Order: sequence, then C-alpha cells, then structure tokens
Amino acid sequence: MSYVSVSLPQLLLSLGLMAMAIAISSHNRLGLERDLAIGTVRAAVQLFAVGLLLTFVFQNEHPTTVFGVTAVMVVVGGWTAARRIAHGPGTAVLFRHATLAVLVAGVVVLVPVFAFVIRPPRWYEARLVIPISGMILSNAMNGVALVFERVFASINEDAAGVEQLLSLGATPKQAVERHVRAAMNAALRPTINALLTVGLVALPGMMTGQIVSGTAPDQAVRYQLVIMYQLVAVAAVAGALAARFARALSFDEREQLRTFPDPRVR
Amino acid sequence: MVPRFALAFSHQVSYQALRRRMPALLEARRLRKTYGGRVLLDGVDLRLAGETVTTLGGPSGTGKTTLLRILGLLSDPDEGQLLLDGVNLHSVIPHAARRRIALVAQAPVMFPGTVLDNVRTGPRLAGEELPEATARALVVRAGLPPELLRQDAQSLSGGEKLRVAVARSLALRPEAWLLDEPTAALDAERADLIVRLLRELAAEGAAILVVTHDARALEQLEGPHFQLSSGRLVEGRPLSGDAS
Ligand SMILES: Nc1ncnc2c1ncn2[C@@H]1O[C@H](COP(=O)(O)OP(=O)(O)OP(=O)(O)O)[C@@H](O)[C@H]1O
Ligand SMILES: [Mg+2]
Repeated sequence: MSYVSVSLPQLLLSLGLMAMAIAISSHNRLGLERDLAIGTVRAAVQLFAVGLLLTFVFQNEHPTTVFGVTAVMVVVGGWTAARRIAHGPGTAVLFRHATLAVLVAGVVVLVPVFAFVIRPPRWYEARLVIPISGMILSNAMNGVALVFERVFASINEDAAGVEQLLSLGATPKQAVERHVRAAMNAALRPTINALLTVGLVALPGMMTGQIVSGTAPDQAVRYQLVIMYQLVAVAAVAGALAARFARALSFDEREQLRTFPDPRVR
Repeated sequence: MVPRFALAFSHQVSYQALRRRMPALLEARRLRKTYGGRVLLDGVDLRLAGETVTTLGGPSGTGKTTLLRILGLLSDPDEGQLLLDGVNLHSVIPHAARRRIALVAQAPVMFPGTVLDNVRTGPRLAGEELPEATARALVVRAGLPPELLRQDAQSLSGGEKLRVAVARSLALRPEAWLLDEPTAALDAERADLIVRLLRELAAEGAAILVVTHDARALEQLEGPHFQLSSGRLVEGRPLSGDAS
C-alpha cells in the first residue's frame, strides 16, 4: 500500500487551477468569475463537511449512523429529483414519489450486491456502504429526475393526442405509453453510454480513486464493473417506478388527463 | 369523382355497418361547469336521441367545446349527470364508455404513422386488428381517396386530418357522435359528404351532436338546433345569414 498524502499547503497550491479558470473567464468576458469563486469555496466547504461527517461515521461505525447517513442520501435524492419539474403536480407531491422510487431502487440493487457480491466483513461497514450507496442512489435520483421531467413535459405537449387516444377507448396506460417509453429510454441512456465507453476515454472516478490510493488495478476493475452494473440496474428500476408514478399522477380516478398549470403562471 | 367512388364503396362497407341497431340515447342532466369563477354551463339539459342529428351553435367562447368534452367524458362537469342508454356514465369504466362515444375534435391530432395506422388505432387499443380492406372502406366512407392509406398522417391537410379522425372513429362503430365544427376546414363538396355521412350514421341509429356555424350544413341537417347562450341551451334555429 503506497498511499501518498496531500498536505494542506499543497492543497492550497491547487487553488492556482481555479485562478487559471477565473483569469480565462475574465479575459474572455464570460462573466463566470463570480460563479467560479463561489463554486471554489462551496465545493471546499461541502467536501470538507462530508469528510468530517465520514470521519465521524467511520470512528463511530454503527448500523444507526451508517444507515442514518444512507437515509439522508435517499431523502435528499428524492427532493432533488422532485424539484423544478415543469407541468407536474408540484414538488410536494412529487417528493414523496421520488423518494419512494429512489429508496426502493436503492434497496433492490444494493442489498443483494452487499449480501452476495461484495460481502463486507461487517454488513454495516461504513467505508464500503456509504460511498457505494452514494453512487448508486445518486444514479437512482438522476433516473427519477429524468423520467419526471420528460414524462410530464411530453404529456403536456401532446395533451391533445393523449386525449384523442382516450377518446378512442385507450386506458390511461395505453394513452401515455409512447411518452413513458421515451422517458424511460432517456433515463437509461446516460448510464448505458457510460457502460459502452468506460475505459476508452476516461477511467471512472472510483476506479481512479482506488488505483491512486494503492489498490491493485485488477481489483479496482472488478469493483468498477460491479458498480457499473449496479448503476444500470438502479437507473432501470428507479426509472420504471418513476414512470409508473408519473403516469398515475397524470390521470384522475375518472381516467381523465389532469393538466398542471405552468409554474410560471401559477 | 371522389365522392361518387366513395358512395359506390360505402354500400359495400355498409353491409356490416348498416345493420340498424337500437337507437342510442345520450342524455345530459343539469350540467354545470365553471372555469375560474366563470359559469360556462349553468344547468344544461340535453337529450341526444338516436336517429337524430342535433346541431349546436352559439358565439365563440360560450362553452360549446367544453360541453362536447364533458359529453365525451374527457372532462367532468362540476355538477350533473350523463346517461347513455339510461345507464349513468359515472358508474361505467371510463375507457369502455368512451369507445361508445366518438369525439371528433375541431383540429384532430394525428398519431404517428400512416393513415392506416391511425384508422386501426381504436380497434388495436382493444386488442383487435382491423383488416386493411375494412380500413380502406372506412377511409373512403369518410370521404378520402383510398390511396391515402399509406400516407404519413402528419403530412395531411387540416381537412384530410378531420376525415381521418372520422374514419378512426368509424372503426369503433360508436353509438354516439360528437363533432366540433367538422365542416369548417372543408370545401362545400367535402362538407356535403360529411353531412351525408352523419345522416347515414343517424339512420343507422346513432345519436349525433354537431357544433357548427356552417349555414349550409345547418340547412342540410334538419334535426333540433340549440344555441348555447349564458350557460343555457336555447332551442331554435338562428335567423338565416347569422353565422356568428
Ligand atoms: N381547461 C380550461 N381551463 C380554463 N378555462 C378553460 C378551459 N377550457 C376552456 N376554458 C375557457 O372556457 C371558455 C369556453 O371555451 P370553449 O372552448 O368551450 O368555447 P367554444 O364555445 O367552443 O368557443 P369557439 O366557438 O371559439 O370554439 C373559454 O373562455 C375558455 O378559455
Ligand atoms: Mg370550440
């Protein structure tokens, strides 16, 4: 194990990289200096906070702390996925559904892998459960967000077509089938593309991290493969659940298409 | 040339379609609908009897389309009841009831695919495959040349789309028809053809409601006429020349 540490003064030197970006922005009048400066500080604050939290959790490794952190990830993921969805029933309603989709998809994909594939020495092993759950849950979150965004927008855009199908005797499921399928497709696309190009252009972050911190490449590769397959599965499960929820939310109990006022008009 | 061909063809189709059935009866009782405090329907009673083409007029924005959407079960009234052949439609599975009530919108949306795909949509939703020959016959009956069957439906003109929408509904042999200004996008010849088709459908027992301002169509459709005004239906034909 040849672990190379970064001291704080060394870390400060890396601020020169941000200075470079800010200089370019200013020279080309991109107007991004403010965002870059805020981003520099924010990223540092957020990551150090997470670092402190992880240190605390690792030192107090206990099912409650480990799963407390995972639960927070689920809720924050659900909330993030439910935000800013135009033409939907609103964040409050979507939040419940998004959180449920992230939770179920996360459990379905994470539990079997920890139980049969990765098999940590302790089942609540923080150093494995937290980072891996984080990656998987955030992909679930992205899948849900993509599906919500797409389904509600495309149903709204094609409301007349959906009602036309209803008129011809379509069930709600049939009436929005095309839209739901397109949305689920869109939700899986990014993860599938990552699967197809992984290793060709860039090494995935986790694998890079493991190699940098001294893990043998062949082990890092195996971990990465498991993660990638998990990412695909979680996007599929979360996307499918979100699609079901979105469909149910788009109709009332009389099988009529509900319309949601544009939030800008609301 | 097209209409004559269509007529010749329509007799063939009618072998199946012309079987008379029990006249349908679509009834609306005390319908009330408001949008944002504005009362569009204020206790509307309407009885659409089979074998009859009822026409509906009235100034723009008075709620004619809103009434059609309620009768077509796409929107619920705030109050009131709908009955089809005496059965309260509130107690029926909506998608099953909608199959029996054709709603032809003013500017119908074409589904992706060909005209044939569009005409087959209704039966397909119920798990049935409409034979191409039947689809062709329906298209002709709706006043379109059969060559159009293979054409991309999205590329059609407004008037052609309307007739595809009619053919699409014909495929389900509905008991009631609701049409929103069906002749507005048609020339006189095609409009006459649609009017003739509506009369045929009525003769077969269908209950029909047509929203129209078309004086010529109103002349040819001699059933009851209503004006929607201040949320109420007023029976009686407009003075000739008044096409507001
Ligand atoms: N979903 C809705 N939400 C709010 N207002 C609506 C809605 N649908 C219709 N309206 C309003 O109801 C009124 C009546 O509309 P409707 O389309 O029924 O009129 P119409 O009699 O068919 O008019 P036209 O002859 O121009 O087609 C309009 O002012 C319209 O803005
Ligand atoms: Mg209208």
